Amino acid sequence: MSTARDQIFSSVRAALAPLPERTARPVFSKDVAEPHWLATEADSLTLFQKRAEATGTKCFTDMESCAAWLRSQGVRTVYIPAPLTRLAALCSEFCEVTSNYTRARVNEIDAAFTPAAGAIAESGSIILSDESTPDRLAALAPWHHIALVSRAEIHRTIADALAAMPDDPNLIWVTGPSKTADVEGILIQGVHGPGAQACLIV
Amino acid sequence: MAEQKVELFARRLDRGVQQAVHSNSAAGTEKRYTVLGKDYSAPDDLRRLAGQIRQHAIEHLDTYLEQAEQSLKRQGAHVHYAVTAEDACRAVSDILQKAGAKKVVKSKSMISEEIHLNDHLGSVGIESVETDLGEYIIQIDGDHPSHIVKPIIHKNRRDIAKSFEREGLGDYNDDPETITRRARVFMRDKYLQADAGITGANFVSAETGRLVLVTNEGNSRFCLAAPKIHIALVGIEKVIPSDAELAVLLNLLGRSATGQQLTVYTEFINGPARTDRPSGPQEMHVIFVDNQRSQILASDCREILRCIRCGACLNVCPVYRQASGHAYRSVYPGPVGAVLSPLLAGKNFKQLADLPKASSLCGACNEVCPVDIPIPDLLLKLRNRGHEEHAPSPGTPPMGAFAKLASSPMLWRFAMKSNKVMNLVPLEKLPLPYLQPWLKTRTLPEWRGGEFRSWMKDRRKK
Ligand code: SF4
Repeated sequence: MSTARDQIFSSVRAALAPLPERTARPVFSKDVAEPHWLATEADSLTLFQKRAEATGTKCFTDMESCAAWLRSQGVRTVYIPAPLTRLAALCSEFCEVTSNYTRARVNEIDAAFTPAAGAIAESGSIILSDESTPDRLAALAPWHHIALVSRAEIHRTIADALAAMPDDPNLIWVTGPSKTADVEGILIQGVHGPGAQACLIV
Repeated sequence: MAEQKVELFARRLDRGVQQAVHSNSAAGTEKRYTVLGKDYSAPDDLRRLAGQIRQHAIEHLDTYLEQAEQSLKRQGAHVHYAVTAEDACRAVSDILQKAGAKKVVKSKSMISEEIHLNDHLGSVGIESVETDLGEYIIQIDGDHPSHIVKPIIHKNRRDIAKSFEREGLGDYNDDPETITRRARVFMRDKYLQADAGITGANFVSAETGRLVLVTNEGNSRFCLAAPKIHIALVGIEKVIPSDAELAVLLNLLGRSATGQQLTVYTEFINGPARTDRPSGPQEMHVIFVDNQRSQILASDCREILRCIRCGACLNVCPVYRQASGHAYRSVYPGPVGAVLSPLLAGKNFKQLADLPKASSLCGACNEVCPVDIPIPDLLLKLRNRGHEEHAPSPGTPPMGAFAKLASSPMLWRFAMKSNKVMNLVPLEKLPLPYLQPWLKTRTLPEWRGGEFRSWMKDRRKK
């Protein structure tokens, strides 16, 4: 008895065999899908900030203003991975700080910092990987997520980011807060993931 | 023109639903148009390129599918194949049962709708929860999605509030924000308790084995963050040559679907958790599903397999806007559905052979399609096929009486003359309800039956 795999492959081959010729693989330049305004844009950092803000991601360039924002949001418990001591000190002035993200506390921890693997200027996206953000839930479950983006790791275009994808079980490009327009087309933020997405550029 | 089933549905459709579908679709078309125009000077060139990429991919499916399988295995994923919808359902439940999984969370995927996965899982005692807000509402209502991207385009907030109240998600409240928050809280527990997460895939890169998933809500990410098993159901046509093609396809998908440059979450999955990257699911299974796709590949309508499920052709279609998705009696509505659904029906083609006729062939669907599918041409080919296979044409009145009349000169002459009495009949008073809406906006020309014949006769005499 032939397996499902054999059956599928033989019907695919049978379907393609009669074709007199097959469409060749199109050759295109890497920048073919770049928006035309990209060429006249400033440096990648400025562009990233502009595009991130346009898609709803708040950008901070210093720890103090980022901490002040979390304070104004009434954050009660923040997850900050171990090495970021100065940030932890700033936040501990107004809320509980933990360096331990556990499932038991998924609903209590209402803000989390996690390091990004990079960013994309063209789209204002933050790139997270399992290497940079070892706990996927930490970057997803809290209402506030702040990605730590390093200036040196901002790719200019989507095509650049695709060409430089690291070997990681999971990469995710985050472009703004979680959102839906399922109910009557009305935009609501914070469906399953963060309702407030931010990044701290370091 | 003969009345088609889709048109009949459109006429009986609730006015509120029709308006919702119409305005939401029109807004989608508008957004897509604005963003493409703002970003590209020649968006049509890009659409054609994307079309070639996809056409190349499906015409080399034998090579790419095999390559994708090897890449996925190299990354540690298990690869399965399913010939039919039933096989695909069974493959999912076999994996779950073997792992002792009782609860699963699902991220929106059209192919799981196509194979009716939830019904199957329910029948073997596995709880399966749709996590996309719209899909969840569809699930609790026992309804069907009426749009590929906006599944509850046909529902309003009051319908949803009632459903939530019924399901015990709080007292009646139709504020969209409250509805969304309640879903957030409810889903949290479902994710954390689930043994497995089931997703689809927007693309699979043959070269790297990367599986690409796009969502706005973040639900697919949750399905891969909490549970320990990941099952991806993937139509065999989703394979693309490499990651590089994504630069074109992702840029067009978001803009065409929702007018976004990129959807909020674009996820690239490359195998299960590793010892040094333990966060994700421990097991990853990819099920490649044929379910008639290889037959479509063999047909002269293979271009439909390029489809990247953006929904733009639904939004722009005048028939879809009037009729809504349910009029198409199948999982894929609108222009794409009018082609795909009868083909996916396989030997039941005839049952949906009327769908390709529910189009004015205005060509708008082709113009917006990010992969440049010549939908009107495909509709015509399917109309012919329906004709050749003598599929019933639901809208055409039986021709028996007319044939008899037309084949007897004496009867014909009599009918032509006597029908002048039609001019005296008050048509709006006729007890034919289905004619009334039509007559409200139209009048029949005065009956002048028989005049051609007498004119011919006079001519011959001269
Ligand atoms: S046929 Fe084209 S426009 Fe319609 S859903 Fe598919 S990709 Fe989008």
